[in-house]
Amino acid sequence: MVTTYLTRIYSSFTAHVFDIPPRMLALLLFSFLVVLPIGGLNQYVLGILASANVLAIFAASWDLLVGRTGQISLGHALFFGGGAYITALLFENYGLPFWITIPIAVLITTLFALLIGFPCLRVKGPYLALVTMAFPIIIGSIVGWAPLVDIFHGEIGFRGLPRFFPFLKIQDQALAEYYLTLLLLFISSVILYKIANSKTGIVLVSILDDEVASKASGINVTRYKLMAFAISGLFASLAGCTQAHLLKLANPPMLSLSWSFIPVIVTFLGGIGTIYGPLLGAYIYYILDRYVLTILVKIPPEFVYAKLLIFTAIVVILILKWPRGLARFTTDKLQDLEEARDIEERGPKIWKTYKKKKKIV
Amino acid sequence: MHLLEVENLTKRFGGLTAVNNVNFHVDEGEIVGIIGPNGAGKTTLFHLISGFLKPDSGNMKFKGENIVGVPPHEIANKGIARTFQVVRPFRHLPVIANVMVALKSPRGSKKIEWIKTFERKAVDMLENVGLTELMLEPAENVGHGDLKRLEMARALALEPDLLMLDEPFGGLNPLETDFLTKSIQRIHLDHPTRGIVIVEHKLYALMKIVNRVIVLHQGEKIAEGKPEEIAKNKKVIEVYMGKAM
Repeated sequence: MVTTYLTRIYSSFTAHVFDIPPRMLALLLFSFLVVLPIGGLNQYVLGILASANVLAIFAASWDLLVGRTGQISLGHALFFGGGAYITALLFENYGLPFWITIPIAVLITTLFALLIGFPCLRVKGPYLALVTMAFPIIIGSIVGWAPLVDIFHGEIGFRGLPRFFPFLKIQDQALAEYYLTLLLLFISSVILYKIANSKTGIVLVSILDDEVASKASGINVTRYKLMAFAISGLFASLAGCTQAHLLKLANPPMLSLSWSFIPVIVTFLGGIGTIYGPLLGAYIYYILDRYVLTILVKIPPEFVYAKLLIFTAIVVILILKWPRGLARFTTDKLQDLEEARDIEERGPKIWKTYKKKKKIV
Repeated sequence: MHLLEVENLTKRFGGLTAVNNVNFHVDEGEIVGIIGPNGAGKTTLFHLISGFLKPDSGNMKFKGENIVGVPPHEIANKGIARTFQVVRPFRHLPVIANVMVALKSPRGSKKIEWIKTFERKAVDMLENVGLTELMLEPAENVGHGDLKRLEMARALALEPDLLMLDEPFGGLNPLETDFLTKSIQRIHLDHPTRGIVIVEHKLYALMKIVNRVIVLHQGEKIAEGKPEEIAKNKKVIEVYMGKAM
């Protein structure tokens, strides 16, 4: 009696769940994240979740540039660390609050993205990846340079940046920061998703597919590439600024190679070219990094590059096994289930042929 | 004034002269065919006109304006649309979005009449070449013949004054060739002032639709005239068939 009732509820629920588009899944994930802290998480976990939100913004910005426009950047740490350094500089020298320093820093970084985008985007493919990789290394060494230690504080970097909500109690601060980053993530991912799926987004994908054909269709390819570069830089630097205030520091590792590769790893985990994929990827990354590798496997925190190696291996396996990423893999599976259900209703004969049919990526 | 005027155009690749001192013109409402054996420089000529290659010397004027050294996207926005010999679809995009890319360009968006929406215009462009059924299919799943037509729809979305088709019948079966011939004729009737240039190997299909034929051989223009005249021209026969023993 009860079981039949439950199965009826279940089937009516699945009938709707399987129909919903991927963006509804992303919304479900968001609503899950909104109610998540109600369970009473400790400060440490909340801090990690806030960082995961920031990473999701960062990776989504990389995804717009690389997954949609096809301009491979391996130097996104430039915008991330650059934003962090500019807010820190503004705070230390002028004592400005974060709601002034962050917008200024984002603006400056975006202008800088346009500036370096102009020469960078003249080269293509792997060459572009190499050129972009050089920029954060250059800025990183300038920042860590001994003669400039009075301005940038060398290898130590800036410490003691203000928290977002200094007037709250410690436990409430972590919670408030979590919700703030979640709000930022929601706004930026909606904006990025809207851009990626607008008419402009279509043009961006056309550049990824065939630059020559988009030129022949009258598209000013350079302008669109620059636009994608600037938008991507904007959100990457927003993530960097937020991270700086969350950790209360800005230091040379934020400009290092590993921060250039983390968005790549996260995007491939989630699914490149989806914009909503990195959202899932960022959380998986933090679960793997902070729980599996640190607590279960107990890799000491000094071995940052050992972790990077493991993540790179995971990405290689993912590319071979699920090149479309976990988010798309999930939505594909849901779609398959839906199709299978339809076919099952129509008859067992088609169901068998369906089972034989192999899915091509 | 001619729609397109090409004077003494020359392009060299190292020691090879791909296009050598070529002169020709296209008038409004004319369909001009460019033929020639492999390596005659037809496609190079197309690349030169559409701005993908820069000529070593010579002049090109479109509606009286110089177009030498102008970047490809600006030439497209001036009103010269082209297709490619090897199809170049945007593979990740659905068929209709392929056309939308061209509609998003300055010229494409300017030519959308106030009563039509962006999407409606895109559908109309696909209707021109009979692709509405495949509208939402990703371009990577679409067959070669349909991609050829898609290329044409994309070029038409720019509402060009000069349409340049690079081997539109290449790799098509007779049925598809026939269909495409009819759509080219219909496009010509719909826009009587539009000039069309067609590069083609399939002479049978080409000769039926063109007003004038230009023959290239090893980069040089060897003949020009009405299709019937060209078919009887001794030099042309020699180039295609070899010398009589």
